[in-house]
Amino acid sequence: MEKVRERCLTGIEALDNILNGGIPKGNTVLITGSAGTGKTTLSIEFLVHGAMKGEKGLYISVTEASEKLLENLIVYDFFSKEMIQKGIIFIDIPEIYEKLGMNKLQFSMEDINLLIENIVKIVTEFNVKRVVIDSITSICYRLQTEEKIMEFILRLSKALSELGCTTFLVSELLPSAKGYSQYGVEEAVSDGIILLGNLERRGDLLRTLRVVKMRGTSHSRATYVLDITSIGILLVPLLKGGGELI
Amino acid sequence: MNSEEFQKKLKTYQEPLSISVSVSLSNYFDIIKYILDDFSNNKNIPIIYISATIPSKSISTVLDVYGIDSKKIFFVDCISHIMMSSTTYTDRTVFVESPTMLETIMLKAEYILNKYVMKNSLVIVDSINSLAIHNDMKILSEFLHLFVTYLRSRSAYFIILSMKEQSNNEISNILNFVSDEILEVE
Ligand SMILES: Nc1ncnc2c1ncn2[C@@H]1O[C@H](COP(=O)(O)OP(=O)(O)O)[C@@H](O)[C@H]1O
Ligand SMILES: [Mg+2]
Repeated sequence: MEKVRERCLTGIEALDNILNGGIPKGNTVLITGSAGTGKTTLSIEFLVHGAMKGEKGLYISVTEASEKLLENLIVYDFFSKEMIQKGIIFIDIPEIYEKLGMNKLQFSMEDINLLIENIVKIVTEFNVKRVVIDSITSICYRLQTEEKIMEFILRLSKALSELGCTTFLVSELLPSAKGYSQYGVEEAVSDGIILLGNLERRGDLLRTLRVVKMRGTSHSRATYVLDITSIGILLVPLLKGGGELI
Repeated sequence: MNSEEFQKKLKTYQEPLSISVSVSLSNYFDIIKYILDDFSNNKNIPIIYISATIPSKSISTVLDVYGIDSKKIFFVDCISHIMMSSTTYTDRTVFVESPTMLETIMLKAEYILNKYVMKNSLVIVDSINSLAIHNDMKILSEFLHLFVTYLRSRSAYFIILSMKEQSNNEISNILNFVSDEILEVE
């Protein structure tokens, strides 16, 4: 019989049910979808639920200043912004780049090592258990080659997994994209893929979520309709009335 | 049954179950009044009212006339937007853009249940016929089946109103399938 792996609860009850008890601890999960589908909101809620249980979170902001992100963040009924700032470390990646002298447009293998080392250092120092990188796509852009992207993600996820960290890599998809990631490599090396999307059904626009893959657990592969609320993300099964994922 | 028998019947309910109530155009408001009066005033159970027939604002107005405190009732209003009727945002009313957004209706009900109501609530759908105008029968029956299962797990009462004048076989079949009891009020 398969050994049951320890789980990391996202705290989004319906998602943990879809995953039959949460994300296998130490997994690196690609949170992928086009702009505005709720990737950042989902990732922050994952960190918030960790913080509520005393698990330190790390949010590495690549595309947007974290200060601005916090300003626009939904106000949760169950956790104040002050508590969020206490329980989660927010880092803007330009600060790391600057500190490490990574000023080239295209990163070398050496740069990659430095970056991973630095992230691992923060994780170890603060005993971080949940990491979000928002977005991995922007980092990949500066890695350019598939080899370097693969190397970066594999080594980072191995290091974080060994430290008991469960990691979300946010991936930005173009609405026209085929597959689940910009470079194709990200989806291949991740332990899990959660796809967020929009569905148009007879003129109504619905937000959707589907777990495409998750190593270490069985899970539903059905599509769910998602709502972003002050009590967190809610999900219900998509009714089978037709409609097309866009 | 007549309306007196109906009121007596309502009083006998002590455990959450799913009931379909067939009303006619002439007693529609009376029946709503009896239900809300019994659950809100006698049983003191919080109510989530899903309005797909007339805007929640109009129902509130009628309830006020009847002396039922509509402030105790939460509305999921899925008709005001498409009727372009003016909407007043209160923290007791959630609007759904269209009655075709059945999943969103469930999400909003779940939101209210989780945020404000612990258990022993009543969810009313007004009405299956209005939803049937906007949705095909297959998706409607899937919706009600899923919804009734969810509400059972939350120990909530579920009342589905149906309009006698607009009824047909398909609607009766769905109601038979999802209801523990079927009441016809003359
Ligand atoms: N503070 C908020 N209140 C209500 N809705 C919000 C809030 N923040 C975000 N949303 C909703 O969530 C959507 C997705 O936001 P976001 O998580 O930033 O998407 P993504 O990261 O996938 O681009 C927004 O378009 C908006 O509709
Ligand atoms: Mg984002």
